[in-house]
Amino acid sequence: MTEAELAVEFDVLARRAGLDIPEDRRAHVFAGFKDMRAMLEQLRQPRTAAHEPAGFFDIATVNRGR
Amino acid sequence: MAYENLSIAEMGRQLRAGAVTSKALTEDALARIAAIDPKINAFITLLADAALADAAAADAAFAQGIDHGPMQGVPYALKDIYDTAGIRTTCHSKLREHNVPAEDSVVAAKFKAQGGVLLGKLATHEFALGGPSFDLPFPPARNPWNTDHMPGGSSSGSGAAVAAGLVRMAMGSDTGGSIRGPAAYCGTIGLKPTYGLVSRRGVFPLSYALDHCGPLSWTVEDTAIAMEVITGYDPRDPGSADVPAPAFRADLGKGVAGLRFGVPRHFFADAPGLSPEMLASFDAAIATLRDLGATVEDIELPDYELFSLCGRVIMLSEAYAIHEQDFRNRPMDFGLLTYLRMTMGAFVTASDLIQAHRLRRELSEAVTTKLATYDALICATGLAPAPAFKDVPPTPSNWPMQTMPFNVTGHPALAIPTGFTASGLPLGMQIVGRAFDERMVLRIGAAFEAATGLYKKRPALAA
Repeated sequence: MTEAELAVEFDVLARRAGLDIPEDRRAHVFAGFKDMRAMLEQLRQPRTAAHEPAGFFDIATVNRGR
Repeated sequence: MAYENLSIAEMGRQLRAGAVTSKALTEDALARIAAIDPKINAFITLLADAALADAAAADAAFAQGIDHGPMQGVPYALKDIYDTAGIRTTCHSKLREHNVPAEDSVVAAKFKAQGGVLLGKLATHEFALGGPSFDLPFPPARNPWNTDHMPGGSSSGSGAAVAAGLVRMAMGSDTGGSIRGPAAYCGTIGLKPTYGLVSRRGVFPLSYALDHCGPLSWTVEDTAIAMEVITGYDPRDPGSADVPAPAFRADLGKGVAGLRFGVPRHFFADAPGLSPEMLASFDAAIATLRDLGATVEDIELPDYELFSLCGRVIMLSEAYAIHEQDFRNRPMDFGLLTYLRMTMGAFVTASDLIQAHRLRRELSEAVTTKLATYDALICATGLAPAPAFKDVPPTPSNWPMQTMPFNVTGHPALAIPTGFTASGLPLGMQIVGRAFDERMVLRIGAAFEAATGLYKKRPALAA
């Protein structure tokens, strides 16, 4: 993905999140966004549908103390 | 002996023998704070009058033969994200500068019930994430070993206060290393207990999935005593584990002879930014453990970067969700570093987060499997000693700590000093145990501490 394409994605996601990023902070946030995006790619490993997430709903835990 | 050199256990013995009063301990601590804290900014809120009243109550209880437990009459302090009834709890942030909770956090209530003497509330990174910062309502804590350097974070005031001898034990919290980092940078003990062992209720969250409460202290025994006080099942904390409280001090004198430790050396051996002094100190520590009779072997775990990114994605997503309304309505009230770091959570999609939680399970299983073979894992706590404030980047793409893996997996991890750089900054390692086997972690820490005696060395500023 090119820098320009990344910038478009950045703007779309920021707008969707309701963020109004000040111009003087934009370069820092965009740099962090690019790092984050590269990181997110590494989350994806070969997995089957049977690979459930950690901590995915223990009914006793979720309901206790209420 | 100077009071600041008394362990919590020794304070307890002297208090019960009538050799010292809680009032004397508290007055001494307040005098040290008055003399030293202006140089290190560990305290946000000092509770001198309340502490002296607590001390008087503790002394009166001793006089009547009432004994609530090992913290009775002992001064301590709390990171300023722990709610304290009637006492402001700021999270080191403009957004909560005047926040006064109605109720105590569970941990604060447990210390209060024991008759502990709360000296005050301690500096943190803003909301346990953004720092060290100079644009917040309170200055950042400084490292007592060299005040030009940061003390680590986010439990920055806790590490600084303990290292400077202002308090023997202080509570911190750890979401990606926020107990163990300051412990490593400040040369103290820091324990991140097993996830769920200590209630988080009343502690301002950074990430529900990764937050842990735990103590920083001068010695392993001090930490064990604090854990005895704060451990317990809390049905109103959804993450709390319904398990028996361990006898934390039971194995402290048993040594490490015959134990087997695994070292995931690949976590740090080739990492950019690894300090040669850190590596040498780590290797010397491994040699010490071998001399004490342990077997130590290199092991393979998944890549460190997988642990790190898994934890960061979960932490930043949850942090952003917690603060989302404030980010939309008053974003400029956050400090710059908090803003820059936490904003990253806005760019994580639901699918990304689910993938992170799937990875979390795989990584946790990998560590648990390895711990079926080994009594503990030994790792670096960080790649280098505490950086100078001027060298801290605003948006670090790769944090120089090695602590996140055990927030992701939930295993208990103890940070302990291993030595010092030539310039006098502390170096450290972490000892990682099986889930709910804090006894083993503390046992290893106590043996190493006794063999090295590093806890006896304190900053010149604290002398």
